[in-house]
Amino acid sequence: MSVNAVHIAHHKPLHLRARRWAANSGWYAIMILMALVTALPFLWTALMSSRDNSGNVFRPNRPPELIPYPGLIGWGEGLQIAQETGEYTVMPWEATADRPAGWWRDYAPGIEAGLEGSPLAPYMYPATTMNYYKVWHDVDLPRYFANSILVALAVVALVLLTCSLAAYPLAKMRFKGRNTVFYLILSTLIFPEQLTLIPLYIMAVNYLGFQDNLLGLILPFGTSSFGIFLLRQTYQSIPDELLEAARLDGASELQIWWHVLLPLIRPGLATLAIFTFVGSWNSFLWPLLMIRNRALFTLPVGLAYLRGFFSGNLRTIAAGVVIATLPIIIVFAIFQKQFIRGLAGAVKG
Amino acid sequence: MNLTAEASQTRLRPRARVSPQERRRTLVAYLFLTPALAFLAIFLFLPLVQAVYLSFTRYDLLNPPQWIGLANFTNLFNDPLFWHSLKNSFIYLIVTPILIVLSIALAIVVNRKLPGVAFFRALYYMPAVTSVVAIGMIFDFVFAEPAGLINGALRALNLIDTPIHFLTAPSSILASIMVVTIWRGVGYYMVIFLAALQSIPEELYEAAAIDGATPFQQHLRITVPLLRPAITFVAIISSIAALKVFDEIYIMTGGSGGLLDSAVTAVFYLYRQGFEYLNLGYAAAIAVVFTLITLSLSIINLRFMERGATDVS
Repeated sequence: MSVNAVHIAHHKPLHLRARRWAANSGWYAIMILMALVTALPFLWTALMSSRDNSGNVFRPNRPPELIPYPGLIGWGEGLQIAQETGEYTVMPWEATADRPAGWWRDYAPGIEAGLEGSPLAPYMYPATTMNYYKVWHDVDLPRYFANSILVALAVVALVLLTCSLAAYPLAKMRFKGRNTVFYLILSTLIFPEQLTLIPLYIMAVNYLGFQDNLLGLILPFGTSSFGIFLLRQTYQSIPDELLEAARLDGASELQIWWHVLLPLIRPGLATLAIFTFVGSWNSFLWPLLMIRNRALFTLPVGLAYLRGFFSGNLRTIAAGVVIATLPIIIVFAIFQKQFIRGLAGAVKG
Repeated sequence: MNLTAEASQTRLRPRARVSPQERRRTLVAYLFLTPALAFLAIFLFLPLVQAVYLSFTRYDLLNPPQWIGLANFTNLFNDPLFWHSLKNSFIYLIVTPILIVLSIALAIVVNRKLPGVAFFRALYYMPAVTSVVAIGMIFDFVFAEPAGLINGALRALNLIDTPIHFLTAPSSILASIMVVTIWRGVGYYMVIFLAALQSIPEELYEAAAIDGATPFQQHLRITVPLLRPAITFVAIISSIAALKVFDEIYIMTGGSGGLLDSAVTAVFYLYRQGFEYLNLGYAAAIAVVFTLITLSLSIINLRFMERGATDVS
């Protein structure tokens, strides 16, 4: 709908568009206010992560330092020398034990001179990449990242497979016990997962060897009652005649499922995949219990660990939070239509 | 094999009570169901039964479980911290009505066909895809004293002299964490209500407008009653989510449960008893009581909403 609205607006003369904006200015005011409430905590974290260790953003009786300009920018070793002298450049091929590789440069002095007398100058501060380098160097975020992706993708693959298999007979076959099985699966939705947490933990540690094992973060989530329910509804929208035709052609049920049905339920699969991925990506308590080995941390557990590791150094923690959240925000920005349509579709059923 | 089965089926179908074809179909159906049912059996049904069993035992992972009858439950009822944690979980339920009102209002706003509205929808939804752990840490920066976003800005504007103790005073910590839950949930529930709103026919509003209803009256008389199924749905899922809140509490109290246990909720207490003190039987008893409470709450919710629905129609 909104796509159409934008489309039409582009063909209208400018003054009509302006009038339309003005007529709706009240709505835009509400939306922008709410946008600020949503975005400010994120922006504040990004602001914190780019500051060096001197002073606060807000100081009594002085303007807040909100606008960044390039300050100490770079990557690698030699940060301390750069902080003293303003520069440190050792390319990887020239690096020795005494002079490790690194590239830093303080652009602040030059820019400060240019800003002299500008009305915005009191609102500006020199941004630095040093917090990002510190957290990247001290905490193995890329590895936590890889672990999270690996676990989430494996869970998504398993859930899509088991749910799309199980939902097919529940939607499209008549067999003994169908209703019993369906209600049995549906009834599991009402139990909070906390009820199974303790026995699952005991089983995982004592019998299955899941402690410090990524399989332990995958297998317990290998199917989803919600997913079976969702895909059953998607299958039901497919006309029976299609299946009959395929059966007359001599296709086995497995062939029908793979060649005929799966391509048709792709939107349902996409919705389930998105939900499952986000759920696995964000899950915290179970990986916190299962994983002690730092090399196997997932991102949320790694973030919680980082918080303790740098306790007190809020700016480095902020850089870690930015590194950890930015990728999912980018993925979301690319697929936001599917995310929102998927949720809306799942609820409408 | 396929062909023979089908050939015999055409001959036998009318008379046989359980035809080979039917038997075969049942077998195929269960083959399709097996992987999912196997996962559910191992990781859900078995633990469900064990949870009930464990709640009658004393168990610390090292020694075998020891049957102690109802002792866990009687201890639980005499445990002031359990009641305190339960009270906190129920206080946390306040987020549900706030979330419902805010997300309906927001859904009504972004349901208008305005240029750029898709951008705002996506922005509001963004917190729902960000991990609670990251959001908890982000709000640590927002609530920090004295130089966090809120305290710093208020002090710079000379609106306050001493910082507000969002996370350091027992009286305000739970409310501060609830703000985070609401902030994260509004966009998510907004999308659910948006889907429901878009299924309401436009003509209803046009007819009401012709009859002279103000926009506010229109929403009160048309939108809210027709959103009832969506409201029931959101009430149930958001109240269950509120009762079982853990991640936010763990992160924003640094795993301590807050000063004087001021932010200990039922599930956090379960975590502490089970995984910090290794009283796994006792923790299982907490889980059983907690489950009974969530189940009855969901049933009350459904009943209440159903009765409301019949009143309207």
